[in-house]
Amino acid sequence: MNAASTREVLCPRPAAAGRAGARADRRLGSSARGPASRIWGYAAAALGALAMTGLIHAIPGTRRIPNISMLYLLVVIGTALRFGSGPAILASLIAFAAFDWFFVQPLHRFTVADPGEWLALLMFLVIASVTGHLTARLRTQVDEARLRERETAALAEASWAVASQVSLQGTLAAVLRRIAEVVPVTAATVLNGAEQDAPEVIASWQSESDGLPNSAGGAVARALPAGAESIPLVAEGRALGTLRLQLRPGRAMSQQERRVVQSLANHAAVVLERERLGRMQTAAEALREADRLKTALLSMISHDFRSPLASIKASATACLQDPRHADPAAQRDLQLGIIQEADRLNAMVSNVLALSRLESDAWRPQREEAALAEVIEAARTGLPADANRRVRVFLDAAVAEVWLDPVQVGQILHNLLDNALKYSPPTSEVELRAFQEEDRLVMEILDRGPGLPPGQEQRLFDRFYRGPHLGESAVPGVGIGLSICRGLVEAHRGTLTARNREGGGAVFRVVLPQERLS
Amino acid sequence: MTRVLVIDDEPQIRRALRAGLERNGYAVTVAASGEEGLDEAALHPPDVVVLDLAMPGTDGFAVCRQLREWSHVPIIVLSVREDERDKIDALNLGADDYLTKPFSLDELIARMRAVLRRAGAGDEPGTPTFTAGDLQVDFARRIVCLAGVAIHLTPTEYELLRTMVLNEGRVLTHRQLLAKVWGAEYVDDTRTLRVHIAHLRDKIEADPTSPRYIHTEPRVGYRFRYRP
Repeated sequence: MNAASTREVLCPRPAAAGRAGARADRRLGSSARGPASRIWGYAAAALGALAMTGLIHAIPGTRRIPNISMLYLLVVIGTALRFGSGPAILASLIAFAAFDWFFVQPLHRFTVADPGEWLALLMFLVIASVTGHLTARLRTQVDEARLRERETAALAEASWAVASQVSLQGTLAAVLRRIAEVVPVTAATVLNGAEQDAPEVIASWQSESDGLPNSAGGAVARALPAGAESIPLVAEGRALGTLRLQLRPGRAMSQQERRVVQSLANHAAVVLERERLGRMQTAAEALREADRLKTALLSMISHDFRSPLASIKASATACLQDPRHADPAAQRDLQLGIIQEADRLNAMVSNVLALSRLESDAWRPQREEAALAEVIEAARTGLPADANRRVRVFLDAAVAEVWLDPVQVGQILHNLLDNALKYSPPTSEVELRAFQEEDRLVMEILDRGPGLPPGQEQRLFDRFYRGPHLGESAVPGVGIGLSICRGLVEAHRGTLTARNREGGGAVFRVVLPQERLS
Repeated sequence: MTRVLVIDDEPQIRRALRAGLERNGYAVTVAASGEEGLDEAALHPPDVVVLDLAMPGTDGFAVCRQLREWSHVPIIVLSVREDERDKIDALNLGADDYLTKPFSLDELIARMRAVLRRAGAGDEPGTPTFTAGDLQVDFARRIVCLAGVAIHLTPTEYELLRTMVLNEGRVLTHRQLLAKVWGAEYVDDTRTLRVHIAHLRDKIEADPTSPRYIHTEPRVGYRFRYRP
């Protein structure tokens, strides 16, 4: 469905809305009442007038009281108060006719003998009609005032709800409850306007929670087929959704009620708009963050990648120089340097690749049953031989078999071990302890390095962070290692923390949930 | 002289491998594409093929598949991606081993020797005993010694070790090991394999998390290779 036709469906034409409103207003003073109660109003008016006739007729001597017809005014005023001006006028007409028929000479005829009686009768009719009309208007004004009061209260509460509720659903539910308090509805829903064919219900209200006194009547009323009202939710010229109201059977909305509903619908639209803007802001922030990351990666590539490339080029050109002057040991040193730098470059490429895969959320853990010893083996495989000899592993038998992604956890442990080995004295040991804590797998890497700068324990996991005490490029290319670790641990729904170790050094602690660890 | 066919679209790799392998006494032919490599293999059948997986046109997987239709020549595939899926796919298509770029010439030569040894020997040990580091396997008497001291292995552990030793230097997938040691109906029982490997390592490795004999290829299989 294209946007134009959606808009047409969502927004009723103003002319039609105006007509409907005028019709609702013309529908007597008691416009809030349904057609059934209106028929009852007319019937009651007729019955009232006839009953009064019977009363005057039955009580002897009443006929001779002058202006006894004024008794009919009681019926007219009562009818006007209860049922509005239409039934009141009917009551006046019936009273007029009945009085003429039964009490004015000649009896049982509509003709009037005395011209004075004529005047009295006409005066009665006019007074009855005017009184009835004025009374009915008064009643309507009282109704309107009451409705306005409820409207004001509802709007105030809705505003408060919009301002105070945190969740979209909570706020919309509050707005719907306000609508249900003001307008006779059995159900109210806010639909997502995105797709007209299968709109999604965002929030809804049902009359069960209304606390209807007559639940049986409520059930019958719900079973009856009745019309639904659809009000578009529009903010800043953007259709954001639809408010759908199921009116109580036999009830229509008055213009005032429509106005209240429109005000409340505007509140709902504001809520939806606010939520939409919030979503856009989140997306924009994610984009900004991704952009920042890209910039940082590019600058890292230009700085950190250049240094191994520079030494490779320097060593290779040195190797090419006249071999007659070359010392074989120095030559070999240069060649080993080239290999080392190439490995370092390769490790950096792997890290950048891992980080971008993590960022794009394309690297979900593929968990499987694995032997933790094999995972640790994979972590130690890439370490330089002399560094690997400094590693001591304490592996509790309870965690011999684990549930994780062996490749990703291998990379986590590799980065943490590599980090610990690089930042600690070349003669010190680095310990890896793995054990079970409740239903979680805990792996701790303990070193005897300089430890963590106080207050920097969390900054450590920021991308491109390097310990300040190490100076520029002392240990290049490891800045992103820890942030990759954190990303991978979080992908496993685990935690990665760091703290200082008693007696000097740092402890990195990985905790992974183990749903399937017995 | 052992004839090596190198199929790789990168001229620098072809140049480096030709120079390095010729210096080590191999006769080297190079091909710059999958099609060229298949033609060359048909015209001058090599003793071993070194094949890049990522190539434009006919890629390494396709070459592997087509070669295996008529030849048992050992194939070592080169992969840039650290994706185990690629390695497993290539092995399933009939490759004998793989190497991840960047690699050293020593590693490539070790892999080539391993697959060539297998191609010559079949499933029988060529020698009555096998020695690597402190480990000694006496095939005739079915005895395994570590630093001269006989160690007790269960029959399954012995079969596992024997199979891996006979394929020294070469990767064996979980399925290959399970089929050879347990039988074709057990090829999916990786947990059994893992547990037996762990027991075997406990008996022959000083530190199972940094093994000297049996190495893990994550998600793929195991490789027997003595690394002091």
